[in-house]
Amino acid sequence: MSNILEHMARVIQDASMVLSKTREETGCKMIGIFHPVVPEELIYAAGLRPVRLFPYIDDFITEGDAHLQTYLCSNVRAVWDQVIKGKYSYFDGAIIPRSCEAVTFLYQTWKRHNPYPFIDYINVPWKRSENAIDFFAKELGRIKNDLEGFTGKEISEDSLHNAIRVYNRNRGLLRKVCELKKAESPIISSTETLKVVMSSFILDKEEHSGLMEQLLAELSKRSQGPRAKVRLLVTGGCVTDARLWEMIEDCGACVVADDVNNGSRSVFTAVNDTMEGPLTALARRYVMVPCSFNTANADRFTYISEMVMESNVHGVIFAINRNCEAEKFDYPNLDLKIREKFDLPTLHIETDYLTDMAPLRTRVEAFIEMLNAKGG
Amino acid sequence: MTEKTKRERPAFNKIISAAIESHYNNIQTNRPMGYALMAPNPLVEIAYAAGIQPAFPENYAAVSAVKHLSRKYCETAEAHNYAPDICSYCRNNLGYVYDSKENPPFGGLGRPDLLLLTSSACTHYFKWWDALHEIYKIPMIYINTPRVMEPQAMPDYYLAYAIREIEAAIIQVEDIAGTKITHEKLSQAVTLSGEVVDYWHKLLDLQKAEPCPVNLTDISNALFVLIALVGKQEGVDVIKTVYDETKQRVTDGIGIFTKEEEKHRLMWINIPFWFNLGLFGYFEKRGCVFPLSDYTQYIWGTTKMDGAKPIESLARKALEGELNSSLDDQIEKMLVDIKEYHIDGIIAHSNRSCRVLSVGIPDAVKVIQKELNLPSLVLDGDHTDERVYSDANIMNRIEAFLEMLG
Repeated sequence: MSNILEHMARVIQDASMVLSKTREETGCKMIGIFHPVVPEELIYAAGLRPVRLFPYIDDFITEGDAHLQTYLCSNVRAVWDQVIKGKYSYFDGAIIPRSCEAVTFLYQTWKRHNPYPFIDYINVPWKRSENAIDFFAKELGRIKNDLEGFTGKEISEDSLHNAIRVYNRNRGLLRKVCELKKAESPIISSTETLKVVMSSFILDKEEHSGLMEQLLAELSKRSQGPRAKVRLLVTGGCVTDARLWEMIEDCGACVVADDVNNGSRSVFTAVNDTMEGPLTALARRYVMVPCSFNTANADRFTYISEMVMESNVHGVIFAINRNCEAEKFDYPNLDLKIREKFDLPTLHIETDYLTDMAPLRTRVEAFIEMLNAKGG
Repeated sequence: MTEKTKRERPAFNKIISAAIESHYNNIQTNRPMGYALMAPNPLVEIAYAAGIQPAFPENYAAVSAVKHLSRKYCETAEAHNYAPDICSYCRNNLGYVYDSKENPPFGGLGRPDLLLLTSSACTHYFKWWDALHEIYKIPMIYINTPRVMEPQAMPDYYLAYAIREIEAAIIQVEDIAGTKITHEKLSQAVTLSGEVVDYWHKLLDLQKAEPCPVNLTDISNALFVLIALVGKQEGVDVIKTVYDETKQRVTDGIGIFTKEEEKHRLMWINIPFWFNLGLFGYFEKRGCVFPLSDYTQYIWGTTKMDGAKPIESLARKALEGELNSSLDDQIEKMLVDIKEYHIDGIIAHSNRSCRVLSVGIPDAVKVIQKELNLPSLVLDGDHTDERVYSDANIMNRIEAFLEMLG
């Protein structure tokens, strides 16, 4: 395995340790964010480090349930549990978006118990009209003011353009790696790609981009991998557990495309700040992120359809977390449309934080065997 | 099993029942008809101003639960792959949509011509109406508004965004209805809505009296007017009757109990168990009345509707209310109201189907206990899916709580 891929995998495995060390060495204040809908560029431009929140540690939820009931998404509950247990001492605050119910209502709990000096809530519109983009740009202006109040420093227009450049570069490089999965015989596995994307949530963006350039150079010299006989698309929300992706590959399939928060939804499209101000440009890009909570079923189907066609997909796995109401609501119609339009087999599995993979494996194995029997 | 009360209900319940029946008759006959989200929805007044008949799937889900049909409808929705962790209002309705519809309550909910949605509640509603949009392939008018976490410090651009959304929605409604919504028509609908809201506030104030004039089941019944009949003269007439009778009861010292019999005044947090409204009868048997609930107090009727500023009033309606606010804001209100309504105990329903009203309940009851030294009981359940309701467990816990209250 490449040293860079090993390093990125370790960053995910030891995210908490890596962040703690970074905080200690650089002194850079860290702001946690949820979902790919928070414009990180704003935080970066403020001289802070935006870090994507997901459960960094495999630890049973023991204290979080006192505030957040068990019928909420366990990924969110696990993050909150680890926050209040003081496991993320390196954080200085969080920006929580209006997204799924669990995250939206986590904000209120977070604010009430206030574990860090900074907390903010950002109203992500549930529409993509010009009116919505105009509103979102103003909302970003408010967040910018709040961040300036926190740091005591103005966020200049230049620093915003620079942040956009840094993030566009990183997403562009990530998209290049994701593109490699589409090949008939991909030179990078889907688990490796997942870790490449997720390590960008933790590492400094410029550092990560430097690693990405080295990785792409390395990969260009890699010999072709085995032919992806069974090519799958995985769709869901926060499918952050790498064990699931490893298990799918272990069963003989390759995830050649994904529609998850910690995958394609995080890397799609660049911010175009050449035609309008940086806040409007950020608003225009981020309002388009195709998360389930703010995206109509028809738009989600368009997004998935493009990937199905581009990546020559043989089957679709819906990997949806327990109590992820938005994804579960979209599933029946998306499933029907995928079957009807593409005549593709689908499988629905319910995932959960620290879930037992064995029962899921039995179902995934059967699905892949069925696809193999069909000739992939 | 809970016992049924034999107490005489206020006469206005019959008038409200007639209004509900009339509403469901109108759904069958009036066209165009649109499914409207119940959460404070400014499209209700706009619909009435345009001659569009609104219908309310959430209300129908509650009706179905009262009639014990929710199991059947939820199971039908689940057979169509809508998972049990989706809100049971949604599953009830989607189950009804896919059901064979033999003898449905009130003759059914009818097939809509359009969909009227706001984002002032939760993602479930957006996804629910989107699912209906996929099923019926009819126009959907959708007002998106931000969630207002700090109502006292709401930025101006929140209101400006909501106003532009309302203006765009009016143009769409005019197009569908084929009629112009003049300023006069809209102003009249908003004025009538405001009159209902004003009566509602006065009605809720009467609940502070000792003895409490009517119970939560009566107020919940009257809530139908505040949701479904805002913008119509009929709504004003019905709510005035409700108010007049309740006021007379206060003047005459008539309550659910006599002042001596009224042992405990409790607050109910969250939506009731619609399939077991008899539970309130059980509480009555034990001398307990519910003068206060966040469900009837803070969700609807929180906006001053001004006929002179109809669009701004409608925009504010979309922005205000408990479903679009923060729990901290509600806790502040509860701490004041609990004292004003002379409450001596809290029953909170941790409702797995309604996360907007349930997340934070553990914190809320802790704050109330700490600030006001009031006992509280949290019951796990669901507003319409009775399959997850354990009567024996719930009754055991209630029994122990009432024994503790004394």
